[in-house]
Amino acid sequence: MTFFSGSILAATGTSISSLSIWAVMLGCDVIILAATFAIGWIGSRAVESIARQPEAGARIFSTMVIAAALVEGITFFSLLICFLALYWMR
Amino acid sequence: MTIENLQSSLDIAGVYFVASADFNPLLPSQSAPIFTISIGRWDVIVSNHMLVVAAAALLLLGCIPVATRPRRTRLGGASRSRMVPAGLANLIESICVFLREEVARPVMREHTDRYIGFVWTVFFFVLSLNLLGMVPSEKIIALLTGKENHFGGPATANIYVTGGLAAVTFMMTHIYGIRQQGFGRYIINFAPRAPWWIMPLLYFLEIITAFVRPFTLAVRLFANIIAGHILMATLLGLILVFKNYCAAVASVSAVVAVSFLELLVAFIQAFVFTFLSTLYIGFSILPEH
Repeated sequence: MTFFSGSILAATGTSISSLSIWAVMLGCDVIILAATFAIGWIGSRAVESIARQPEAGARIFSTMVIAAALVEGITFFSLLICFLALYWMR
Repeated sequence: MTIENLQSSLDIAGVYFVASADFNPLLPSQSAPIFTISIGRWDVIVSNHMLVVAAAALLLLGCIPVATRPRRTRLGGASRSRMVPAGLANLIESICVFLREEVARPVMREHTDRYIGFVWTVFFFVLSLNLLGMVPSEKIIALLTGKENHFGGPATANIYVTGGLAAVTFMMTHIYGIRQQGFGRYIINFAPRAPWWIMPLLYFLEIITAFVRPFTLAVRLFANIIAGHILMATLLGLILVFKNYCAAVASVSAVVAVSFLELLVAFIQAFVFTFLSTLYIGFSILPEH
């Protein structure tokens, strides 16, 4: 997506500059990378701790879900801000 | 092209969707006016999301008391009430017990029973809004009646609906805190104990936190639900891009898989909304030290 912003412009016929699309897509790439690493870490640590103590499995699982949802919340704020930048800073 | 249609309502997650005029899978996520109620000088425009919110409220008000009423069985002529729940009552009761014991009691301890009603209400309401958003009701009504309509849609995909839910949580947090501790003690306990020269900064930060927390609640729920619907709409739009049957088969099967994921996300987001609301209420009723 980052590299095809010129053709995206031609397809949609909008007045968003190519640099703006580049910046937004680069931002989205970094956000998604960070979110993937974060949720992967949470999941792997949770699995390790369940392996260490299986009887705490339910509590660890619900803690993992809550932490992953919080990280996902941050991810979505940043993605929304990226989209806002696309329309505010033409 | 439905660009102006999208621009008017999806102005936060503005997505330019290449679609023909009659194929817009993102249409239910946009709020469209259904009818107008005139009260005196003011006109209240009722949109499809408002109808879904009302439908979820009526569904819960109707189903939960009916499902959890006491049951009686006849055993050899004598009737005795059954204490063991079964069916829908068992489902509702197990969810309620889980929320009370695992979510609310660790946070609110001895005050759990006073505030558990709000926690249960938030969970079931957000869950039913999320799940009703997965039902394509405008397509079902169009199949049955043959008319294009705009009923139904994911209500939590509307930032104003989730903002309203977060505003309710915000109000109840402070109302419960003031009712529990009294207004003076609530203000004093607003910020944790610290050396006197840092207290103004701490109060400032606590006031900012008090506004940022409901905002994050609203945006987290909104963004999760709208992202799922945008993903499904994009996958369906691939049918228009490729215009052959193989793409349609692949796209529809991917949409089915993503729909299962969206059902999971509906439950998880309702749980996270409820858990964080419980946490904030717990922080406000118990002085942190």
